[in-house]
Amino acid sequence: MSGETRTVRLPVVERILEANDDIAAVTRAELGRRGIFAIDLIGAPGSGKTALLEATLRLLAGRRRPAVLVGDLATRRDGDRLARWCERVVQISTGEGCHLEAGQVRDALGRLDLDGVDLLFIENVGNLICPVGFDLGQTAKVGLFSLTEGDDKAAKHPYLVTAADLILLNKIDLEPHLTFDRAGFMADVRLLNPSVPLLEVSAATGAGLDEWIAWLDRGVEATAARRG
Amino acid sequence: MHEFSIAEALATQVLRHAPEGALVRGVEIRVGALRALEPEALKMSWQAVTDGTPLAGADLQVDQRPWTITCSSCGRSWSSPKPFVECTCGNASPTPTGGDELDLVSITVDEEEP
Repeated sequence: MSGETRTVRLPVVERILEANDDIAAVTRAELGRRGIFAIDLIGAPGSGKTALLEATLRLLAGRRRPAVLVGDLATRRDGDRLARWCERVVQISTGEGCHLEAGQVRDALGRLDLDGVDLLFIENVGNLICPVGFDLGQTAKVGLFSLTEGDDKAAKHPYLVTAADLILLNKIDLEPHLTFDRAGFMADVRLLNPSVPLLEVSAATGAGLDEWIAWLDRGVEATAARRG
Repeated sequence: MHEFSIAEALATQVLRHAPEGALVRGVEIRVGALRALEPEALKMSWQAVTDGTPLAGADLQVDQRPWTITCSSCGRSWSSPKPFVECTCGNASPTPTGGDELDLVSITVDEEEP
């Protein structure tokens, strides 16, 4: 009899963010082909992402050819700050968006001259939760925490800690003024991600940045070697 | 609020998979513990995204996967909604592991009988 309806459950099993991940895979292949080591820098608002990149770009001047993508909700302030240290900076205004997505990164890369670039920093929107689940095509994820946020932030954001290829703890110069349990913070990180390297730095004073630069140099060299 | 982006991606995906002309009654997804997704926020976003579309009224079921906790002292392993918990053996910090899956599992539709 036609006109009758029946209810059917159709199994699918597919990643919900597959469309995003597909774009990210194309970006990753393109960056790999060009030998570009790409960092997705994730941290809370005020953790010092832009300050870290300013200090990093200053230290890399003349040694590397970096490019920077900066995600921000509305303003151009971060992009303007970074443009003082690097000529290849593209600001991505996400509007209401709390994180960058692969399509935004792909489009922004299209506005950059990538010839000769060996290092790409993608400064994500200030947020410890939303950005982690969106693959951008990066080579490595860096999770940036800071002493002023409190020592419980690694434990409260297990996805970032688990997904990170490097954890940075910034603002260590402020330790005398704060009650931050560094041992407790590190124990939380180790419990969630036993093998992730953890570096303590101060973007303001430059403390610990030599190890961060050395980590970047190893990444750039390994990416160039994979390119062959 | 990444729940909104995820709801948008899910709606596009469901429309792609639903047979033409079928009324979508329900959508079932699976979310790993690492994702830190709020099922209620996700359902609100789903309602907002699907309102006024062919998916309006489709029920979203979220299968939130728990953490697996493994105690290195006594060897016990169990499921928990929270990553940081104590073991009954006294170990204050057993190891939490969680998945990061975020999958569409099934679509339930009303189809015309052939």
